[in-house]
Amino acid sequence: MPEETLLKVSNIDVFHGSFQALWDVSLSVKPAEIVAIIGANASGKSTLLNTISGLLHPAKGSIEFEGRNISALDPFQIVTTGISQIPEGRRVFPNMSVLDNLIIGSYNREARSKREQNLGMVYELFPILRERKNQLAKTLSGGEQQMLALGRGLMSDPKLLLLDEMSLGLAPIVINDLYKALREIREKGITILFVEQNVRRSLGEADRAYIMQMGRVVLSGDAAKLREEEEVKKAYFGV
Amino acid sequence: MKFLASRLTIGNMAIGAMVIILALLPVAGVPREWLPYVFLFLLYLAMANMWNLLAGYSGLISLCAPAFLGIAGYALAIGTWVSIPWWLGIIGGAILAGIFAILISLPIFRLSGVYFAIGTLVVPEALRIVFLLWRPVGGELHGGGAGYMIKGLVDVQMSTIYWLALGTAIASAVIMRIVLKSKLGLGLAAIRDNERAAANSGVNTLRIKVYSFLISAVITGLAGAVFYVYQGYLEPVSTFNVKWTMTILLATVIGGLRTEGGPIIGTIIIVFLYFLLARYAGYSLLIQGVIVIIIMLLSPQGIVGIMRNTRLYQSLSQLANRQLMAFKTE
Amino acid sequence: MEVLAGLPTPLVMGILLGGLYALLALGLSVVFGVMKLVNIAHGDLVILGSYIAFACMTYLGMDPIISLVIGIPALFGIGLFIQQFLMGRAFSLSAEAPLIIAFGIALVIQNTNQIIWTPLSRGLTTPYSLSSFHLGPYQFPVSYLLAFIAAVVVMLALREFLRRTYLGKAINAASEDRVAAQLMGINTKMIYGFAFAIAMISAGIAGVFLGMTFPFTPTSGMQFLIIAFGVVIIGGLGSMLGTFLGGLIFGLVQTLAGFFFGPAIQMLSIYVIVLVILAVRPKGLFGR
Repeated sequence: MPEETLLKVSNIDVFHGSFQALWDVSLSVKPAEIVAIIGANASGKSTLLNTISGLLHPAKGSIEFEGRNISALDPFQIVTTGISQIPEGRRVFPNMSVLDNLIIGSYNREARSKREQNLGMVYELFPILRERKNQLAKTLSGGEQQMLALGRGLMSDPKLLLLDEMSLGLAPIVINDLYKALREIREKGITILFVEQNVRRSLGEADRAYIMQMGRVVLSGDAAKLREEEEVKKAYFGV
Repeated sequence: MKFLASRLTIGNMAIGAMVIILALLPVAGVPREWLPYVFLFLLYLAMANMWNLLAGYSGLISLCAPAFLGIAGYALAIGTWVSIPWWLGIIGGAILAGIFAILISLPIFRLSGVYFAIGTLVVPEALRIVFLLWRPVGGELHGGGAGYMIKGLVDVQMSTIYWLALGTAIASAVIMRIVLKSKLGLGLAAIRDNERAAANSGVNTLRIKVYSFLISAVITGLAGAVFYVYQGYLEPVSTFNVKWTMTILLATVIGGLRTEGGPIIGTIIIVFLYFLLARYAGYSLLIQGVIVIIIMLLSPQGIVGIMRNTRLYQSLSQLANRQLMAFKTE
Repeated sequence: MEVLAGLPTPLVMGILLGGLYALLALGLSVVFGVMKLVNIAHGDLVILGSYIAFACMTYLGMDPIISLVIGIPALFGIGLFIQQFLMGRAFSLSAEAPLIIAFGIALVIQNTNQIIWTPLSRGLTTPYSLSSFHLGPYQFPVSYLLAFIAAVVVMLALREFLRRTYLGKAINAASEDRVAAQLMGINTKMIYGFAFAIAMISAGIAGVFLGMTFPFTPTSGMQFLIIAFGVVIIGGLGSMLGTFLGGLIFGLVQTLAGFFFGPAIQMLSIYVIVLVILAVRPKGLFGR
């Protein structure tokens, strides 16, 4: 049902120790959407993703996925609900092979039975991974590692994919390929929530976007509309 | 006068009183049976302080103490066989222990963390075998073993040995105080906090660690030599034995790692338990093992940590400080 | 030359002994190499395995190898307990905490054994453990051969487990990047407990074969800890095959040193090798 909300974050406050990183943040994502969270460094984007993934827990407010409150769940339980994060910096397992990295992606029970199917899909999206499947992950280039990280995330058969700064440190050609892959992933019905610093590119790829600054959401709406206000945004935070 | 007054905190006065009492013990007519226990307490205290310096303040879990006290002991013993008087042997032993520490620093400090611990574990074990095989002076011993009697101790009084131990213990405490308040102490704190950051800020981490290691070797060696003067003989198996390490580790952790008072309280407890439960050594050690685990999990600062958190302690210290302020401003 | 004539004995003994040493070290390699956990109590846990087998022999009349049916689950459970409640929490406390807690565990195990079994030295003697087998004109103890075979089996089992099963891969992943592993849906807490418990099983098996080969006392653990560490460090952390080869190297060093320099030098040469390897290449010959 396309109008149902898949992910609903309501008014969360999140702390790192005694430092408050998120202030009253809310957002929502509908099925098969591509939503962007945009902001400069230290604006709280990664904290937000990590909270959704269960690595942090909100001190106030709630997070609901498919109508169910997930704010108190452990990270490994969040994966079973259907949320998969591609972390910042890729974080592939360097001394494991490409294939092992992908296989470990399907660790959770439900995903195991669909392993071969998902593996096929990942190889279709990123043929280079099939070529390099027996190589150790640390021997891959940055772009290839990002593809591996994406593929690994897809192996858990997710409904919602969280991407943290996918294009960091990568060449434009590679970034194009990755965004193309994202579009294909959306075609398969997987919802995407991604975090980026690059305003223009993000607004070009997303349906909707949230703009964050210093732990708060300062603007949100249709990507197209926000694009028009870009001049204002350029002044806003000089990006 | 002002300098003295500022040093006159309640804590210092209490410590001063204790030292005086301890010094008078041998001549104050207390039962002779007590002396060895207090004697042992003093030596263990010195060694525990040194272990605290390494493990608590320098982040170096060292299992090397038996090596230092053994080297000093053997230096002392062998010295007496070549007519070097025992009191000179004690000093020489401590110095030799220090030299040994510097010599092994080179390879040992290439290691860190658990590798360092294992390295320092192996050193006494190797020395044990070395001294089982090597007999530089004296002939064959009857009945096997490779020990030495310490010669020339006939006229030495228990009180003399006792005061030597007291001196060693005081030295260890004074050195701890000095180190902690000095640049060395600052460097140690920086290393413990974040070694890489400290190194990047220009702290010579290697040199600092070696200094701590050296200091602990000399004092531990000193304590060992004094112990062997008391015991009169030594042999490799009991000398280069992990039991020494166990005792001082237990004392320091139970009392409170990285606290100045920890070793004192811990050593009191350990010696007390040893005294009380001599016949049930196994149970005693078992309980101590359990206590160590519980303390590390619940109160890493040991008993001192627990004490500091009690309301009683906090209100008492506030009271004491207020009194002293009043006294000082008169 | 007489030397050559005598050489086969220490060579073969060294390899067989090496198998026993490898068995000793495999569990430690998993725990230390894969989980980055320092287990100073490893030696004592192996001896605990020996005593459990001894208890089964004495009170249940079981053959020590058969007694593994009881020993393995027992050590598995103990391992789970230690990891979940003790070591697991130690990590987040401080750098020294795991070391010191392991030390405490070692003390507890040593003294429990001492209280129950007295400091008397014990052995797991069976009719076959004292007999020898022949290889040409030479004779070797059967217990050494059994230990060697057990080592090969355990090494292969652990290796395949870590490589091929989901759980094994998860253990590897969790040891490389704990956070990333959690994002894969891996319950890292449970995984670490499991890994430790598996290492304990290997320790238990080592305990049985150790007990059949050498006499043991409650304090034997320390000496075997040093050997196990040496083997793990030579062979490379986390590599099962490497640890196995490291064990062989160790065994050979010991027997050959004994052959050329006399029995007293045996242990000394091992300690020297450990120190040298620590100083020169702590990552080991095959480690990652």
